Amino acid sequence: MCQRTYHRRSIFCILPPYVLSKISQNGTPQQRTKALTTMATDNTLRALRLAQVPLRAPSVLTRGVPVEGQKQRTIYTAYHTAELPGDLIRKEGAPPCGDVAADEAYDALGATHDFYWDIYDRNSIDDEGMHMKATVHFDKDYNNAFWDGQAMVFGDGDGDIFNRFTLSLDVIGHELTHGVVGDEAQLQYFHQSGAVNESVSDIFGSLVKQYLLKQTADKADWLIGAGLLTARIKGVALRSMKAPGTAFDDPLLGKDPQPAHMKNFVRTFEDNGGVHINSGIPNHAFYLAATSLGGHAWEKAGRIWYETLRDKQVRPNCGFQRFAKITLRNATRLYGSNSVEMKAVREAWNQVGIKAS
Amino acid sequence: MRIQFKTEGGLVYLPGLNRPVIIDLADLPLPEAEELQELLTLTRFFELPPRAGKFSAKAADHRQYKITIENAAGDSHTVFLTDVVDDPNLRRLLDFLKKKAAPTAKKK
Repeated sequence: MCQRTYHRRSIFCILPPYVLSKISQNGTPQQRTKALTTMATDNTLRALRLAQVPLRAPSVLTRGVPVEGQKQRTIYTAYHTAELPGDLIRKEGAPPCGDVAADEAYDALGATHDFYWDIYDRNSIDDEGMHMKATVHFDKDYNNAFWDGQAMVFGDGDGDIFNRFTLSLDVIGHELTHGVVGDEAQLQYFHQSGAVNESVSDIFGSLVKQYLLKQTADKADWLIGAGLLTARIKGVALRSMKAPGTAFDDPLLGKDPQPAHMKNFVRTFEDNGGVHINSGIPNHAFYLAATSLGGHAWEKAGRIWYETLRDKQVRPNCGFQRFAKITLRNATRLYGSNSVEMKAVREAWNQVGIKAS
Repeated sequence: MRIQFKTEGGLVYLPGLNRPVIIDLADLPLPEAEELQELLTLTRFFELPPRAGKFSAKAADHRQYKITIENAAGDSHTVFLTDVVDDPNLRRLLDFLKKKAAPTAKKK
């Protein structure tokens, strides 16, 4: 053991500490000196190792073993090309990489994961700890963010109409929720079922932001994508759940087309049959229910909508009326048939022109 | 030859940006007209299937681009593309049309 002339750390040697201890007591003077030196170095290294444990990455033994509720995020950059997923730029546990969009996406994925885990006990997108992936810097001057069925993709905006899309936590929450919707309800992405899909994504996108800011329903802005439009555009956000149809009114973009009531329902083949237009109606119903109940919107209204999304009665072609009925049934199941919560949900749907009962 | 280019879908519906843009080959500067003509030949546009990009049934908020081309003989062909296109020539054609159709809020 340790026969070489240069110093070897005893922790790399076969000889265990108790043998060194015996040598230090019973060996020749030369053997005792060497044994004591090795033991001193060994003890120092062991102490350092213990002190550094919290700063180290997971050990070889625990790395890769899934732990329930543990985040697994990977961020890629497309370097302004349309190649997906692009090159890895930051993965779980790594410090900020200095790329603003990548670090924003990483943090927002974490905030969304935490929201679903803390509030609804949901373990990532599929409730089975799905790895969360996002690509930033997609394409050149790309004015959009989307869910590609497996991962999120973010453009940087053109700086003229749109700022970078990772600026908006609720938009990132919205995109991830599309993954949750796909996992739970497979709502078809056109006409009313598509608008329900869009609405659920807006609702939980907004709740992710409200949860991070610890806002009560009356303090929340209920905007989707606040700050995404540049100063050149007359508008505050992409959509308003509080006042659908008022988010923007600009010579270039036109006027926010969202209705807040069924009497203004838009029949169109544009936008996959108006999925981002008519979602204003169920969005507003949620806003009315949440503000009527007060407090944190994720606790009661959010719980009712979440349980509805997971309800097997929500079919892929689920329209507004059916979705509303199922929210009412879940409000009754969770809080009672004559509860304040059930009445608030019923009244909210009534106010947007949908008879839920 | 007339090309109608329309952007559909995306995270938000913007009525002002949802109108089709018409590009007439005869109105383009010669280098651009030649480039476009070359891209249409390379992609064999009139032989493309109606959907030529990657589409996922689980995708949401994605964009698609509707390209309709009418040639001098009056033949017309329409192709839908997404943002994720593998064929490099089709990618170049999409980039060319997106650039020509790009709106701007900047004051001229």
